[in-house]
Amino acid sequence: MAGKSGRTISAVPVRSWKKLILSWEGALVVIFIAVLIAGRIMSPSFNLNSVMFMMPQYLSQLFIVFPMAFVLIMGEIDISVGSIACLSATTACLAANAGLPLPLMILVCLGTGLACGALNGFVLTVWPELPPMIVTLGTQIIFRGISEVVIGAGSSLKYDSDNLSPFAATAGPVPVVFFAVVVVAVLFMILLSKTTFGRRLYAIGSNRTAAKYAGIGVNRVRFIVYALAGLMAALCALFLLTQIPAVKSDEFGKGFEMNVIAMCVFGGIATTGGKGNLFGAFIAGMTIVCMRIALGLINVNDNVITIVIGVLLIVSVLISGISRFKGKGKAKKKPKSVTAD
Amino acid sequence: MKKLTALLLVTVMAAAILVSCGGASSGSAEYALVTKASGNAYNEKEAEGFVAAMKAQGITSYVVKHPEKATVDAQIAVINSLIAQGVKSIAIAANDANALSATLKSAKEKGIKILTLDSDVAVADRLTFCNQAGVQEVGQALIDAVYDIASGAGEYAILSATSQATNQNAWIDAMKAIAAADSKYKDLTLVEVAYGDDEPQKSTDQTQALLQKYPNLKVICAPTTVGIMAAAKVLQDKKSTVKLTGLGLPSEMAAYIGNDADHSCPYMFLWNPIDLGKLAAYASVALVKGDIDGTVGGTFMMGETQYKLTAVEGTNASEIILGPPFKFDPSNINEWKEVY
Repeated sequence: MAGKSGRTISAVPVRSWKKLILSWEGALVVIFIAVLIAGRIMSPSFNLNSVMFMMPQYLSQLFIVFPMAFVLIMGEIDISVGSIACLSATTACLAANAGLPLPLMILVCLGTGLACGALNGFVLTVWPELPPMIVTLGTQIIFRGISEVVIGAGSSLKYDSDNLSPFAATAGPVPVVFFAVVVVAVLFMILLSKTTFGRRLYAIGSNRTAAKYAGIGVNRVRFIVYALAGLMAALCALFLLTQIPAVKSDEFGKGFEMNVIAMCVFGGIATTGGKGNLFGAFIAGMTIVCMRIALGLINVNDNVITIVIGVLLIVSVLISGISRFKGKGKAKKKPKSVTAD
Repeated sequence: MKKLTALLLVTVMAAAILVSCGGASSGSAEYALVTKASGNAYNEKEAEGFVAAMKAQGITSYVVKHPEKATVDAQIAVINSLIAQGVKSIAIAANDANALSATLKSAKEKGIKILTLDSDVAVADRLTFCNQAGVQEVGQALIDAVYDIASGAGEYAILSATSQATNQNAWIDAMKAIAAADSKYKDLTLVEVAYGDDEPQKSTDQTQALLQKYPNLKVICAPTTVGIMAAAKVLQDKKSTVKLTGLGLPSEMAAYIGNDADHSCPYMFLWNPIDLGKLAAYASVALVKGDIDGTVGGTFMMGETQYKLTAVEGTNASEIILGPPFKFDPSNINEWKEVY
């Protein structure tokens, strides 16, 4: 088993159906299907057309799920993404209202997001001892504050959403945003599971000091991840603008960071870092979106929907927590199965 | 094995939540009311009226949707869900006059009748608007209150919001016009229109200035919720003989309403949200049945009362005016102060 370096690579995937179903991702697929079936039974309106019709507004948040998963896998957190979306939407509207053509407006929007993300990354890498939660809390207030100064408190920045019609288009019943989310998901999945960059994220999340001594440029990786989060928040804002043709500084993108973190955690990504994958986060996100749509269609009070999702979140953390305890117990009983490094 | 059980449990739970929640709704909804947000007491009262009016007409296929937050975002989500359900009408208290436009247009394309209540959207996006009180009705109620409290003669002053406030200026102009047109009001003298800018401190200062400048002042009329509250406190603290009326929030004004010398405000006005919800319900049904189509001049019945679609000033878009504003006096203030 041991290689030349004396290190073992035990992660040879054993693909059995039982294992697949018993993994958290497998469970999520089952839950996802259960939600779809229950929705279908409960509401005759829960069909492909109506789900796809209602989806764009919720779906754009999924863009942020993937970079947020990266941040969480590193054992960190970014709570400024909602504000970044707000500021990006603000600059995008300003650009469009100033008469800039669509490609330039997109560039302005994504550029703003990237710059905001890079600012987070800059502060956190220049002073690596600062807690990310506090730094991004600060920038959360700053970014939304800038947007409020530009727009004016209480007033809204109008925008002609017809300009963004390519983003609001549909192929049959399926909106463009759905394809975009899938493409982004695949790109991020490849980045996380097939590249050294992805491996480094897990390494940093599992043991930062060890990662540093192993020669990983921890701060470089962190900077890139925070910048990516900003960029994807701006992409989210761009698609959201097709849905909401007016930006209010105290509304746009508010609470997105928590929705997105909830999707990640439900998807089995540990906030302590080093654990989880994007397939889980993606299915979790889709499950929450479909659940919201189904509960909305049967006219459940919006606040009850929030409670349901909260309960689901706690249960999912509980279950993955319990199984982790169990795993530790087993390992102690059978020391033979653990290969010494 | 434990994990399998846990997995089963979560799945069953997710399904059970969906199924049990579904039990609450009966059949498919046809008439929908969308409020500004859950937890808005004023809107809850509108919803109460809407539901009562639906029941009174023997309709069970209605639904009231309270968006999670008072945002455009949350309202769009709710409207989309109603479009997907294929409702026939949506009555909405809009959180933004313009931002809902695209969503309401797509609802219109699906043949859904859109009407607004409480706060309107751009007139092109809706068929009609249930207006809580027309300018004339408010002006009439206020001048009559001044007349009544001043016992038909004497000096009165108006404490308004800002000098540019559209609503207040319209109401004040209506008061002046009514007073000028009818000799009944000839003994009333308007001494000054003061502006407190809807700031409590400035409104307080303006009230004190009015008291000093006009020793014979009998009544102050404040057609703004901020102004009336500031004035009420000044008059009550000074035990002034000057009395107050105007437009105010019951919850803020409860301590000042009373007929004796200890209270500064005998009665005041605002809208009745329950009746507004009822009006929206009857208008929804009339629109869906085709009794009215949103054009000016159409009429429909709400119980025994006939309501008419009138033109919004300066446009050919229609609105339905609920009626005179609702009077809050010592007999009902304790009930309403809990409401809003």
